[in-house]
Amino acid sequence: MKQLTEITTPFSEVAANSTLPGAQLDWLQSLRQQARGQFERQGLPAKKVEDWKYTSLWQLSQESFTHDAKPSSVTKAQSANVALIEQAHRLVIVDGQFSAELSQLDNLETGLTLSPLSTSLDKAENLLNAHIDVEKPGLNALNTFLMQEGAYLHVAADSKIEKPVEILVINSGETDNLATHLRHLVQLEKNSEITLIEHYVSLQDNVGFTNVVTEVALADKAKLHHFKLQHESLKHYHIATLASKQAANSEWNTNNISLGGKLARNDIHSQLLGEESHVTLDGLYLLDGDQHVDNHTRIDHAVPHTTSEEVYKGVMDGESHAVFNGKVIVHKDAQKTDANQSNRNLLLSRTCEIDTKPEMEIYADDVKCGHGSTVGQLDETQLFFLRARGLDEVSARSLLTYAFAVEVLQRIKAEPVRQALSNVIEHRLPRGA
Amino acid sequence: MLEIKNLHASVDGKEILRGINMTVNPGEVHAIMGPNGAGKSTLSNVLAGRDGYEVTQGEVIYKGQNLLELEPEERAQRGVFLAFQYPVEIPGVSNIYLLKAALNAVRKYQGLEEVDAIDFLTLVRDRMKLVKMDEQFLHRNVNEGFSGGEKKRNEILQMAVLEPALAILDETDSGLDIDALKTVAEGVNALRAEDRSIVMITHYQRLLDHIVPDFVHVLSEGKIVKSGDKELAKELEKSGYSWIHDAPEGQTA
Repeated sequence: MKQLTEITTPFSEVAANSTLPGAQLDWLQSLRQQARGQFERQGLPAKKVEDWKYTSLWQLSQESFTHDAKPSSVTKAQSANVALIEQAHRLVIVDGQFSAELSQLDNLETGLTLSPLSTSLDKAENLLNAHIDVEKPGLNALNTFLMQEGAYLHVAADSKIEKPVEILVINSGETDNLATHLRHLVQLEKNSEITLIEHYVSLQDNVGFTNVVTEVALADKAKLHHFKLQHESLKHYHIATLASKQAANSEWNTNNISLGGKLARNDIHSQLLGEESHVTLDGLYLLDGDQHVDNHTRIDHAVPHTTSEEVYKGVMDGESHAVFNGKVIVHKDAQKTDANQSNRNLLLSRTCEIDTKPEMEIYADDVKCGHGSTVGQLDETQLFFLRARGLDEVSARSLLTYAFAVEVLQRIKAEPVRQALSNVIEHRLPRGA
Repeated sequence: MLEIKNLHASVDGKEILRGINMTVNPGEVHAIMGPNGAGKSTLSNVLAGRDGYEVTQGEVIYKGQNLLELEPEERAQRGVFLAFQYPVEIPGVSNIYLLKAALNAVRKYQGLEEVDAIDFLTLVRDRMKLVKMDEQFLHRNVNEGFSGGEKKRNEILQMAVLEPALAILDETDSGLDIDALKTVAEGVNALRAEDRSIVMITHYQRLLDHIVPDFVHVLSEGKIVKSGDKELAKELEKSGYSWIHDAPEGQTA
């Protein structure tokens, strides 16, 4: 086992031994080698970098990781048990390896391609790294160098896919200190629509590391309803980048929910490149103990007549620490932009911490933009009202906490997803509600 | 039902109630009237058990039990209901969820099982008719985006579902236009019963045209300075509250 800073050495051997997929693709090999050089020059982001000011990867750098997963024994029943939606097209990755046995890829609807990245790389040349900045401090370069698996999702023009797609990433815990590097590619052609759930779970309470990059390309009038649910072990590290580029009249509704992990970092980047495109960038984090979650979001309004809405909410207890940094950039010619952003936090203990920074950079003059953040406790008047209706204090507190959190889900239109997420959140809160 | 004896209460060390005495028997409707600052809302908050009100003297006996030593939820479970002057909005909690949770809390105390889903819906639909509320209100968040009248009707709906033994209506008429006031009053009147007592707290006489009380008390400077029947309210309507300062003390119920 090696520390992350030494991680590239054994993996250059791995890469040379062709265990990483796509060894036969020259363009990919050179991309990997280039990225390797970038990561070796950059190293892990230091706290002196503004974007990493409140999140230290020091602990991560002190852990030892392996990339050799033992064959896992996860059963169909276990997989079905942790899946969010029963009726879904499902691609399952266990300990960094695609599992055909656990996946539900039969009877894919017409127009839908859903396959493991490892067998889809020949279709990926124009997508890979087309949405992310590999030079940016973070782990994008490492991910590019070492990506081993992921999901390739393609929806053909004019296809409305009925059933949601769930990418289920299971950390079985059967290999201690396992690091996995995943890359998902999502491409929606003109006038297509789909619901996608990225779901990360652990079956055991041990140390692990997920490094994932998701790239999203939306053509004209494409609609993606996207959910990310991170529910990994409380000893797990999760570093993620999620980036999209949107063409005209497209719509991306994304909801990023962090429940698990010791340390989770999400860098989310929405690029509105076509007129009348819209993004809803919502998120929720529920933290307890010594959990640390950092959400950095950025929305670029690059052209006129684009809209964005962003609501991030957090509930913190124990000695947890949350970071929110939301940047909205309205470029020079992006007139008639309508952008709204808020971050609201509920602190349940005296020892938790939130660092919140909503930011707007506006270079156009005819725009409608608003942003704000709040930090507070449960409302005493609401609490008294519920008690005056007969609810005991613990139930009343629990209900109000749930209500605060679940509000983020109320704009989700897909009923089964909203219901499933509401249930997960209800169970995650103290005593439910 | 309710006996208030020499009740003194302070807020932030300032004495607001200065010796209230009052007896409410089962089935009676009492109106407590008074000018702003008389202590009307303090009295309702003390009875419901809100934090921040310190009882310095006296006692309140409800169904033979010392009400003041009970938590707010224990009072509610035992049949004390406060209709809020300013109904509280709770984003994220639907009306139907609240009604069910509240009803089950009361039932649990009574040793009854949780209400059956179908029975519950039948009950709620029936009670919504009393306050002329549309079923869509059930699925909206509690009071969120409701108009003033809708909020007050929603309070009465909660009362109708919970069927309290003692209802305290705190300024239920405030902020209502005449039609909304009539609807609310009809709802309350439908809930009058031999085993249910109602205490209405109001600034204005007009509510009492629609919900006719058995007794009227005038509260001033933390004391009940005059008690009588509904005629007293009409007298107040004519002459305002200015005369009460001249009234001799001790004319309490």
